[in-house]
Amino acid sequence: MYRLIAMHETRALARTWALWAILALLVFAIAFAAWSGGRSVSRQLKGAGDAASYEVGLRDRMRQETAEYEAKVKATGGPYEFATVRHAPGQGPPQGTNAGAVGAETAAYIALPPTGLAALSIGQSDIQLDYLPITMGKSLAMTANAELENPVNLLAGSFDVAFVVIFLLPIFILAMTYDLLSSERERGTLAMVLAHPVSLRKLMASKLMARAAIILLVVTGLGLVAVLAVGNYLETPETWLRFALWIIVTLVYSMFWFALAVLVNIYGQSSSTNGTILAGAWLILVVIIPTLISLVATTIYPVPSRMDLTVAAREAQTAAEKNMDKSLNAFYAEHLEYVPAGDQRAMDFMTLGQASANTIEKALSPLYAEFQARRGQQQGLVQRSQYLSPAVMMQLALNEISGTSSERYEDFLQQAAKFRTEWNDYFAERFLRQDPLRPADYDSFPAFRYQPEPFSVVLKRLAPSLSGLLILLLGVALVPLPGIRRYQVAAR
Amino acid sequence: MLEAIDLRKSYGDHAALEGLNLKVKAGDIYCLLGANGAGKTTTINLFLNFIEPTSGTAMVNGIDVTQSPLETKRYLAYIPEQVMLYGNLTGIENLEYFARLGGHAEYSAADYQSFLDRVGLQANAAHLRVRTYSKGMRQKVGVAIALAKQAKALLLDEPTSGLDPKASNEFSALLLQLRNDGAAILMATHDLFRAKETGNRIGIMKSGRLVQELSTDEVSHADVERIYLEHMH
Ligand SMILES: Nc1ncnc2c1ncn2[C@@H]1O[C@H](COP(=O)(O)OP(=O)(O)OP(=O)(O)O)[C@@H](O)[C@H]1O
Ligand SMILES: [Mg+2]
Repeated sequence: MYRLIAMHETRALARTWALWAILALLVFAIAFAAWSGGRSVSRQLKGAGDAASYEVGLRDRMRQETAEYEAKVKATGGPYEFATVRHAPGQGPPQGTNAGAVGAETAAYIALPPTGLAALSIGQSDIQLDYLPITMGKSLAMTANAELENPVNLLAGSFDVAFVVIFLLPIFILAMTYDLLSSERERGTLAMVLAHPVSLRKLMASKLMARAAIILLVVTGLGLVAVLAVGNYLETPETWLRFALWIIVTLVYSMFWFALAVLVNIYGQSSSTNGTILAGAWLILVVIIPTLISLVATTIYPVPSRMDLTVAAREAQTAAEKNMDKSLNAFYAEHLEYVPAGDQRAMDFMTLGQASANTIEKALSPLYAEFQARRGQQQGLVQRSQYLSPAVMMQLALNEISGTSSERYEDFLQQAAKFRTEWNDYFAERFLRQDPLRPADYDSFPAFRYQPEPFSVVLKRLAPSLSGLLILLLGVALVPLPGIRRYQVAAR
Repeated sequence: MLEAIDLRKSYGDHAALEGLNLKVKAGDIYCLLGANGAGKTTTINLFLNFIEPTSGTAMVNGIDVTQSPLETKRYLAYIPEQVMLYGNLTGIENLEYFARLGGHAEYSAADYQSFLDRVGLQANAAHLRVRTYSKGMRQKVGVAIALAKQAKALLLDEPTSGLDPKASNEFSALLLQLRNDGAAILMATHDLFRAKETGNRIGIMKSGRLVQELSTDEVSHADVERIYLEHMH
């Protein structure tokens, strides 16, 4: 019986051209979003790769020169020296012997590796840097904030697969379900059917099963279209683990809309009333609440603007230049071990640079800290108020699953900061000791190795959004059950 | 086959049905007459368990409708004023779906076609979408559903209103066939002439009560009309 009705429903739905139109739109939108998401991820990967190999090329050239220099020294028997100034090629030690030159003039580009699903949700990644140049002297605060924007839109902002799923998928589901019972009652077929040995509950269950199966098929299909259209890391098991989560979360979200449509149908209003109520619910839950949350978060926790940072950096720079002497004194006071042996202080450019960078970093760090704190507060507010709207929970969940959440980026920034210190310390130390770099040293430069977060961390961060969605779904799904007994079969 | 015992239905303090007692046996065509709002549809909806009685019982084949609604519906066929079918399915597809809903999965395509032939649906119409059907054609499919379901009791709510005289006549002929096959038929109608022609018993309802029952072979057409009008005053 369930099968019979479900098959019948499927056939009737399959003959509704409007649904095909929406489905076609949905598939097209998903494919397009996935394709463009995939392109931007590839661009990001390529950009990071290009930048890194450019820098590697620079260092390779420097190494080449030191190797030549080393050979020459060996042949002529002179001392292997540190290049305190830039010599013309072939004259004196090359730049490559100067750790300060290598560490500050070339950068280590480090990037947060995108997950296999990164293209499915741009998330916060459009306001995050794809890759960070790590150089000696410049603090992370300065590089990471070069691109700081005040993110007005903390939530869905760009046209990506997550947007299609959050905005458009409910429309398909609602179009399929908003008149679940009301249309049959209005057309009179409900009475015809219920004159047969079928309970309303069974009828309803079968109609729901048919649609649930369609939703399952559509969601899985759309997900596969998206993942395959992007085609990143398909051989990695983690990609498919994330894909499974994506399917689960999307199904729960879909089922919420489905259950909402059923709930509205139970109250026995007309199809047009049901349609209006559901369209209103969509507007409020998907559009209005997320926008309001975003707006409130950025209004009560405004981050310092990029302007503020630039101005502060410039002021600190000027002050540092003015107080060159003073800052050098301060620097040596802190780093007695670096005070050059011998007659006077090495007033060379790079030592000063290192000293003034220190000053600028100190001047900037409160602003940077404020920026971080505000961003944290904004994210916290969004996290806390996500329960107001399934769309917000969904956005956060999809960001997490796609590896574009701000938490994952935050973790990457921490790793980056650690590496920055490592890089800086390595070169600064050798530079200040004027210890010349040898070609072999080029192999032992600090290298960044991204430590992937354990999957349990991802699950833990996903838990609030996912359980929020589940509870909401259960709430909406369980309400209709008692109500169905009172449904008026015959239209009046 | 169909029996109402002290059946009452109230909407708030308005009583739509006030203690109806009525019996339709196999082979009966029982015509329910009565003004608008007399309670005819209410009676039929109670037999279908579409609404719950305030008190009293409706029985189908000796089984209480509220106790086992699904069981009783196995014996029933329902033909409302407008037989509503799925517009984007063909006549045959509709018939097959409803037959299967009624628990009859045993028929072949030829069987469905022959049901439609028996009720006189044009041969080429069976494979057209029902959306294009006239009312008369849909009523015929309704009867075909009753045939396929092998219904023991038919509940008809003004099935011929709006049909042209010829269609109405054909419909009555179908009812007689069904009755001869042993079905019990309860039909609400405003057509006194058809009631006397087709029915063997007539019940006149007024304000939720059955005020008189007649056997059609004991009265003339003129008598039916006279008695009916007397009650309406
Ligand atoms: N859902 C309802 N709520 C309130 N009153 C109702 C409801 N359904 C029926 N009634 C009332 O019950 C009474 C009987 O209605 P019913 O539909 O049975 O009449 P009827 O004999 O079929 O009339 P008609 O010839 O117009 O079809 C009417 O007064 C009607 O207004
Ligand atoms: Mg009526």
